[in-house]
Amino acid sequence: MVHALISRLLREPLLQFLAIGAMLFALHGLVGRPGTGAPEKIVVSASRIANLGDGFARTWRRPPSEQELQGLIEDYIRDEVFYREGRAAGLDRDDAVIRRRVRQKMEFLAEDMSVPEPNDEQLAAYLASNPERFRTEDHLTFRHVFLSATRRQNTIDSDSNQVASVLARADAAVDAAALGDPFLLGEEFRGVSATKITNQFGERFAKRILAMEEGRWQGPVASGFGQHFVFISERVSGGLPPLDDIRPAVRREWASARRLEAEQKLYASLRERYEIVVEAPREKAAEAASR
Amino acid sequence: MSLTRELIEIMGALMMLRLSSISGAARALVCATSVFATSVSAEDHTTDIGTLDKETADKAFPTKPPYSPYAGRYFPTRPYFGDTHTHTSYSMDAGAFGARLGPKDAYRFAKGEEVIASSGQRAKLSRPLDFMVVADHSDGMGFFPQLIGGDPGLLATPQGRRWYDEINSGKGAEAAIDIITSFGRGQMPKGFPTPGTPAYRSAWRETIKAAEEANEPGRFTAFIGYEWTSNAGGNNLHRNIIWRDNGAKASLVEPFTTLPPLGSPNPRDLWKWMAMVEEKTGAEILALAHNGNLSNGRMFPIIESFNGKRIDREYAENRTRWEPLYEATQMKGDGETHPFLSPNDEFASFERWDKGNLDLTEIKKPEMLEFEYVRSAFKNGLKMEAELGVNPYKFGLVGSTDAHTGLAAVEEDNFFGKTSSSEPSAGRAMHPFVKTDKAVIMGWETTASGYAAVWAMENTREAIFDAMKRRETYATTGPRMAVRFFGGWDFEAADANDRMPARVGYTKGVPMGGDLSSAPTGKSPTFLVAALKDPIGANLDRIQVIKGWVGKDGLTQERVYDVAVSGGRKIDADGRSRTAVGSTVDVANATWTNTIGAGEMITVWKDPDFDPALRAFYYVRVIEIPTPRWTAYDAKYFGVKMPAEAAMTTTERAYTSPIWYTP
Repeated sequence: MVHALISRLLREPLLQFLAIGAMLFALHGLVGRPGTGAPEKIVVSASRIANLGDGFARTWRRPPSEQELQGLIEDYIRDEVFYREGRAAGLDRDDAVIRRRVRQKMEFLAEDMSVPEPNDEQLAAYLASNPERFRTEDHLTFRHVFLSATRRQNTIDSDSNQVASVLARADAAVDAAALGDPFLLGEEFRGVSATKITNQFGERFAKRILAMEEGRWQGPVASGFGQHFVFISERVSGGLPPLDDIRPAVRREWASARRLEAEQKLYASLRERYEIVVEAPREKAAEAASR
Repeated sequence: MSLTRELIEIMGALMMLRLSSISGAARALVCATSVFATSVSAEDHTTDIGTLDKETADKAFPTKPPYSPYAGRYFPTRPYFGDTHTHTSYSMDAGAFGARLGPKDAYRFAKGEEVIASSGQRAKLSRPLDFMVVADHSDGMGFFPQLIGGDPGLLATPQGRRWYDEINSGKGAEAAIDIITSFGRGQMPKGFPTPGTPAYRSAWRETIKAAEEANEPGRFTAFIGYEWTSNAGGNNLHRNIIWRDNGAKASLVEPFTTLPPLGSPNPRDLWKWMAMVEEKTGAEILALAHNGNLSNGRMFPIIESFNGKRIDREYAENRTRWEPLYEATQMKGDGETHPFLSPNDEFASFERWDKGNLDLTEIKKPEMLEFEYVRSAFKNGLKMEAELGVNPYKFGLVGSTDAHTGLAAVEEDNFFGKTSSSEPSAGRAMHPFVKTDKAVIMGWETTASGYAAVWAMENTREAIFDAMKRRETYATTGPRMAVRFFGGWDFEAADANDRMPARVGYTKGVPMGGDLSSAPTGKSPTFLVAALKDPIGANLDRIQVIKGWVGKDGLTQERVYDVAVSGGRKIDADGRSRTAVGSTVDVANATWTNTIGAGEMITVWKDPDFDPALRAFYYVRVIEIPTPRWTAYDAKYFGVKMPAEAAMTTTERAYTSPIWYTP
């Protein structure tokens, strides 16, 4: 039952709030409160009110009306009351949502401070040591003659031989695609990257045709759809672009690397503040002692 | 020219070959289409046939071939695949489940990079996606102070100055420790932003920044968006919001939340906010809802749950204006239709999540189903249009993941689960996903689905968004099949053999998401329908057209037609092929073969039962041959035994946006 409740609590934020609220209410009724001393004070400061108004304006692009502002203040007070009471009742402890949220904030903290503006030297060095991240892909423009495995189940090999012998003597001017079957995605692909070719025809096909020369019909190349004869008319080879062309991307990757580094560093140095004792589970400890 | 003569001969030979050796599937197509051709030839519109014949002839041996037949084309030629619904650690619930990956990581993963999942495993997609929306929950997006912004007040203090310098010289970690310690002791410099001040950093801005950085026009589109997670009473009314624009416009507002007084769980208030955003910031945005299956009758209402009244024209207008799409399939089950609603549809019982609402606090009753599923919403929409003059449920379809892991990975053999605690592990299928005293949904019931496919002109925010607005989209449960669907009055059998089906499609008709109206006298709507399998995926079993309409009696009707089937099976006179395609799945080894089914299918179909006086819609469903479900891959990989009730095979599918007919 408790397990079910917890797993449900974890499910959705709204429900969490409702459930926490309900628990608080129940707690309040059960435990009651020692009616001693002056009531605690909740001050809604002018700057807090201004801030609530700002939040509204950021959502609605206009300041709140008097009534809306009153609603925001009331809601803030309600928040504060529940929050304080909940903390007093210890509901923030051992709550996985709250713990993870706090941890996340700490990790963000490190990230936030890890990213000063890099200079060109740093970026150039990063680019030089991580060239594979920035290399641009080969791009091809090609046409194909498609022999459909679905349409030519038993004759695809003999058809393929015939097409091959015709194409061996054909040149670019021949509209060879008419020799084959219609292909839903078309007969010509212009300036497509290696990735795109892989996406549309599969990896084996892409590898084969990326290795082919331009200017003549070649094939057959198999794909998941059937066989293809390919005429590559243009190839733009990929390479490592100069920093000036890809500065934003290098900056992004550099920052991302720094972010990871900073997080690890922060964790390492915070961990140093603790003496960590991991106790063996009871059964194991007993087992070890009895040995 | 001897070469030309030889070409002619070979061409002829090949044509003969093609006809004599044509596969069973194609034969079935020929049969289906030739029946159709007969009926067409009886009609009197020879112009198009003549033109097409000439073109076909010319194309084989052009005297002057155009340098590129594709130059000057102004229609989309490729579907782009993406996910409109990925959550990251910025979503409070995802974080609570242990998600460590933020928006930046989610985009990297979508672009095909290998990342380390929150569970510590290496994760990579088989192929990059073309676009993605990181859609974290709007509620609870606020975080903590912007620590360095060069704020002059802060820099004037020695501490502030020191931290600033440390950070800028790469000693951020040291500064962080110092700041944390100072926080703890209450020794913060004057002017240091505290939570609740305007400098407070918001996850929204970080989300925007991540999208801006990841967006690479032409290669990868990173949309700015979020999820408005309305969950009143545990009933799912969630919507994802997507911007067409860049960060400059998106950062002019903060996401609309669901908690009053600032936010609201009522979609009418969301639409008001959307109208305000467009008017005041000049941005263009759209919303798409999901998981009607967990809304307990509230996703596609006729009676509004918030006020108990019948949907009025204002609701209908706003819904159709702001919500051009719906997410029809995702990890929390499939939303196309339900066996209770479609008893004559043997494919209707697919990845059903019909036990209750989102948190299983309320059990499902059969009468709720009508207001939860896509097909019944399309049907009711027609009826409501007759009454209100506006169809509130005229939306297109996409699939998406709703991953709460930052990992949009929904291939059956590469499924990273719904939450970080359900990333691949030996026991994940056996853990309850939701469990209450009323019901339980087990981990194995999670669906490895889906993706959004968009026929856009190019891979940019603007082009993909515009295609979404015109509903030229389809949903897939994961495979990246290409699906074409055009409707018009003059498609004929020969169009299915055209070298460029898309050109014919756009010339003679409207694409998926479009409208037909004012039927020419004596004509019925005709459709050009085609599908090409995922290049690395399974073959296709069949293509179906699903028709829904409102009869003369005012009651809604639906009917499933098989329009192309693989393997030479017969389509009966009633438009159905009742022979199953079979199965090659070896569950124990989690393998299958493409020895059944067809790699591609194309046909022209004409509505055999058309009444021009009645409102109707048509959409396409493509069904793959059976393949191992993710549970089979898990069982094999981890060497575990799945519960007897767990489904071990699946039939992946695609659903297109409808084409509507309005008298």
